Order: sequence, then C-alpha cells, then structure tokens
Amino acid sequence: MNTQESEQEILEVIRQMLVDVAGDELLLDEPIGMETSFNEDLELESIEFVQLAEQVQMRYGGSVDFAGWISGKDLDEIIGLKVGDLVRFIASCRT
Amino acid sequence: MPYLNAPGVRLHVQELGAGPPVVMLHGLLLGSLAAWYFTAAPVLARESRVVLYDLRGHGRSERVGGGYDSDTQVGDLEAVTAELDTPLTLVGHSFGALVALKFALRHPRRVARLALVELPLPPGSAGDIDGFLARSPEEALDALPEAVLKSAQGGGRAARRLLEHLDFLASRSTLLADLAAEPDIPDAVLAGLHCPVLLAYGKDSACRPVGERLAGVLPDARLAVLEGGHYLHLDATEALTDLLRDFCRA
Repeated sequence: MNTQESEQEILEVIRQMLVDVAGDELLLDEPIGMETSFNEDLELESIEFVQLAEQVQMRYGGSVDFAGWISGKDLDEIIGLKVGDLVRFIASCRT
Repeated sequence: MPYLNAPGVRLHVQELGAGPPVVMLHGLLLGSLAAWYFTAAPVLARESRVVLYDLRGHGRSERVGGGYDSDTQVGDLEAVTAELDTPLTLVGHSFGALVALKFALRHPRRVARLALVELPLPPGSAGDIDGFLARSPEEALDALPEAVLKSAQGGGRAARRLLEHLDFLASRSTLLADLAAEPDIPDAVLAGLHCPVLLAYGKDSACRPVGERLAGVLPDARLAVLEGGHYLHLDATEALTDLLRDFCRA
C-alpha cells in the first residue's frame, strides 16, 4: 500500500469520525477534504475537537500520540489546523 | 466517551499521559475541558497523568439545573478523584480554581500542591463575568476573548452553539444565583492551608488584586503576574504552561 492510498483511507475514517462527533449537518455544505479546516470551515467546537482526538486515539491506539502532536503547537496553529494536517500526522505515525 | 457518575450528575472526563496525577478544572460559562486540553495539558501530560473534566452543565457533562455552588462542585471533584492516587496536584482556572481551593481546604492531606489561575474572591466578583452577562447576546459575543471570538465570528454553527449554551446556563440553571450567593473565604481559613500554592494572575485582569491578597495570606504561596487578562491560558499560553510545568515538577 503506498502512502497516497493510506492517506485516502485515513481521510475516510476522519470524515466518519467528524460526522459521529458533530452530526451529519457537517456534510451539508462543501465535501470534507484535505484542505477543509476544522475551525473556519467546519466550525467545530473545541470540545468536539477533543472528542475527535479521543476517537483517533481509540482507533489508532498508542502509535498515534495526539497529545504529543498538539503539545508542539501554539493556539493559533491549532485553530488553523486542516483535516489534511491530521490525516498526514496519522499517516506519518503509521509508516 | 468516558463518563463518570457523581451524585446527581454525569461528568465527562478525559485523561492524557501517565505519572503523578494532575487534575485540571476549567472556569464557568465559556469554559470546558478543552480550555486546558489545547493549552497546558498536553505539555503536563509528558510527565504526569493529567485528568480533565467538564464541570457540570459545561462541555459534554450533563446539563443539570442546579448544584453550581462550590460546595456541590467539590463533591463532583471528590467523585472524579476517588480512584486516583494521592497526593494530587490540582490546577484550576477562575471558578475551577475556587473548587480546587475548597477541595484542598476540605481534604488537606490529599493535595500535594495547588495552582490557582485567576481565582476571583469573593467568587461573584469576577468583573469579566458581570460585564459579560450584562450585555445583549451580540455584545456578549464581542466581549469574548480573542481565541474564542475567532471560532464564534462566523455567526454560524459555533456561534449558535455558544449562545445556546450560555442561554441554558444563564436562564435555565441556578448558576448565576449560585455564583452570586457564593461567600468569600475568610483570611483565617486561607491561612490554614499549608500546601504550596502557585497563584497566576493576568496583568490586565480585574481579579489581579485577589492574587496580592492571597499571596499575603496563604502560608506557602508564590504569585506570578503574566501578560494578559482573565483568560490567561489563552492570553499567555506558553508562559502559563511553563509555570505550571515547573510547579508540577517541584
């Protein structure tokens, strides 16, 4: 499996997690892609982002250290995160 | 999602990291455990078992109509910490700091150290809260701290949810009445608290004089004044995180 395919697969997983966490109203506007931002585009609440992190941790386990990833970022970076940033981070942990 | 049953309320709890336990409490109204989750908690979690929970009525904890007074909320914290090894490090912002402080006064042997960030005393005196609630919903949005405002500015989903949350707490719960009835803590009681206390206050916060009072009364307290206002975890994230990390190590 090359990296491109696995990123696509992870993107699908994240899309489903986002719907689980925030409801399918998220799908009404633009499709959720790598360039979709959690804050500006999806208007995810910060507590929903916590729930997303929890789901990521539950699915991928200890190999994906979400807290460690976040701890290296300042608040503006976190607010600016895109779906693709998370997908690429997860992919990088799994290679 | 991890939930825990405290008397009369189901609380949402999250954990990060491993090590000696650090329990972090957020402030009322605008707060949720996300306040610490996206600021100091991941850094503290490199060396500690960080336990975060949503106060009753906030975040993903149950929206209950009452019990927003500090004594009831100390009971919530007792439920959250029941299974944790002690002694604990407690970190609280604003009203969360009051709950942490009152827990330490009630259970002095269970608390190793206490970090109080922008604790208002008397508790109903937080100027930001009064000013915030006196405004119309539109003006209230303008009064939000910058980082929160960024997420609410769209006027869409995030803003709607925030206003709905505030409306519940302000008009369908006893939170404001409980807050107004919350008594001051006498200096003689504060003087009996012997654990190390870190006091962190914002240079521009209306609460700042409280930090000076506490520093004068608590037997083992250190006051740090950081650049920023009441929402110090947002205004001075890095400086506050460094302070908390060093304090947890000491």
